[in-house]
Amino acid sequence: MTSPLTRRDFIRGTAAAVLGASAAFGRTAADGQTAAAPAAKTRVVLVRHPDALDAGSAFNEPVIRQMLDEAVAKLLDRSDPVEAFKGLVKPDDVVGIRTNVWSFLPTPAPVERAIKSRLMDAGVDEKNIGLDDHTVRTNPLFVKATALINVRPVRTHYLAGMSGCLKNYIMFAESQPAHHPDSCASLGSLFLLPQVKGKTRLNVLCALTPQFHGRGPHNFSRRYVWNYKGLIVGLDPVAVDAVGLRLITAKRRIELGPGQEVPPVPKHIGLADTKYGVGTADPAKIELVKLGWLDDVLI
Amino acid sequence: MRLARSLMVLFAPLMIVLAGGPVEKLSPQIPKQVFDWKASGPDRVFDRKTLYDYMDGGAEVYLAFDFREVFVRTYADAEENELALDIYDMGSPAEAFGIFSCDRQDPEAGIGQGSEYGPGLLRFWRGSHFVSITVSGNEDKAEQAVLALGKAVAPLLGPDGAPPEMVKLLPAEGLRAAKTAYFHDNVHLGNRYFVSSENVLDLDPRTECVFAEYAAASGDSGKLLLVRYPDAGRASAAAASFLKSVLPAADADGAARTGDKGWSMVTTRGAVLAAVFEATSKAFAARLAASITGPPK
Repeated sequence: MTSPLTRRDFIRGTAAAVLGASAAFGRTAADGQTAAAPAAKTRVVLVRHPDALDAGSAFNEPVIRQMLDEAVAKLLDRSDPVEAFKGLVKPDDVVGIRTNVWSFLPTPAPVERAIKSRLMDAGVDEKNIGLDDHTVRTNPLFVKATALINVRPVRTHYLAGMSGCLKNYIMFAESQPAHHPDSCASLGSLFLLPQVKGKTRLNVLCALTPQFHGRGPHNFSRRYVWNYKGLIVGLDPVAVDAVGLRLITAKRRIELGPGQEVPPVPKHIGLADTKYGVGTADPAKIELVKLGWLDDVLI
Repeated sequence: MRLARSLMVLFAPLMIVLAGGPVEKLSPQIPKQVFDWKASGPDRVFDRKTLYDYMDGGAEVYLAFDFREVFVRTYADAEENELALDIYDMGSPAEAFGIFSCDRQDPEAGIGQGSEYGPGLLRFWRGSHFVSITVSGNEDKAEQAVLALGKAVAPLLGPDGAPPEMVKLLPAEGLRAAKTAYFHDNVHLGNRYFVSSENVLDLDPRTECVFAEYAAASGDSGKLLLVRYPDAGRASAAAASFLKSVLPAADADGAARTGDKGWSMVTTRGAVLAAVFEATSKAFAARLAASITGPPK
């Protein structure tokens, strides 16, 4: 009897990640202190709040700011969020916030504003903070950026399986279609580009309204978006995406059934670890810290 | 009755227009207003080179078919709810059926040669065209307008065309026709059914694939993938690759029981490969695989 690879086996396969691949993300750039995560594990913080969206699904900005503060403080084991951000950036950094403007599910503006506000609280001059998506390769601020913040929503993607923090850097590529073959397998290599390498200080995967399935011409339908009211935050984009994939998979299992639980075929997350060494995808090597609201947390 | 009168007023001029033609020539024939929704912004046309400008991240789904161009018109109501009408010239009826078939989940809407409607999304195909109408905003309010717009556009896209010849290879007994998908490469197979994280069947734009699901009256069930390659050599090589990667313990018939997921099997005849998944028995797997070895259906 043989057992061909199933979708679930495929996800388990990411557990073949290389130990220590995320070492570059285990140390904060600004103060040289080792980040709070135990050496053997990469910390990812999931924070949720029942009031992150109101009854009309509008974003609750004060709550979202509080969520980001709690997550980043916990990520770096600091009691004060400003001190935590000071652990991520230096006052003389030029910081590019790599956001996502996809019209159907953009990075929520309150999250962008919360990040920018805390960067300024940490001492970064406002004129040295930029926000961009499609023109990051040529945006003068991003060209001279010394630090990057990676922020975007989590959703499924027809080619890559999942769009997360790894895919968010595709606009740094000279050719975006060049990274589309083989289920976008090469996305991890984007973090090795000269404009990017070693600069990512924080990854924020917005799970306020994740999309667990895609349909239609733009691979988007509101039917497959739900109010999860969470943020997934980490220093390692691979680990953050691995947690995001667990969430999407769990939701799909409930809504679409076990046969469709894994979006096809999110191999780029495992390969970002095993081939490109830009983080860790192995669930056994990720410390997932959950803060706040736990109803229907799924993971 | 009121609805019927409204449609007559809005669409009466459409009943006499001629069908067919490049998508941009459809522009004057398509209604500028549907109930409360009025055309907003200029009509747009995107081709294979510019499709990325319209679809941020989704163009490959269409480029994996023989997509030629898409006509796009948006409509908005007073509350800024939007409809987006997309009319795709897919080059042939087979390709139009293909892009439609890869994403079917909603009930039939009775428009064109095949359609489906669910909240916020109407999809149908006719002739060489595939059409989608999507809603941004109040999906409930838009339902009547979406369906009316689809019914107005469908007559412009004739004549009807034939589905892919490959579909005729499928055994009829137990076939769940609404689940049948036609495509070319691994992108669409991966979305339809997970075979492997690698392209073990060597699919590319030159291969023709049909994926079908079966639920026979006997209680047997299974899934059948047929692939036509440019030549028999590639079909044989793909079968060998499949056996090595997916069914390493296959017997002399190319069949193996795959854990608790039933039987899988692979066979070839000439340039065509048949792969069976999740069959309830080896005999049923063989019956499905025989679709390429028996007489033409």
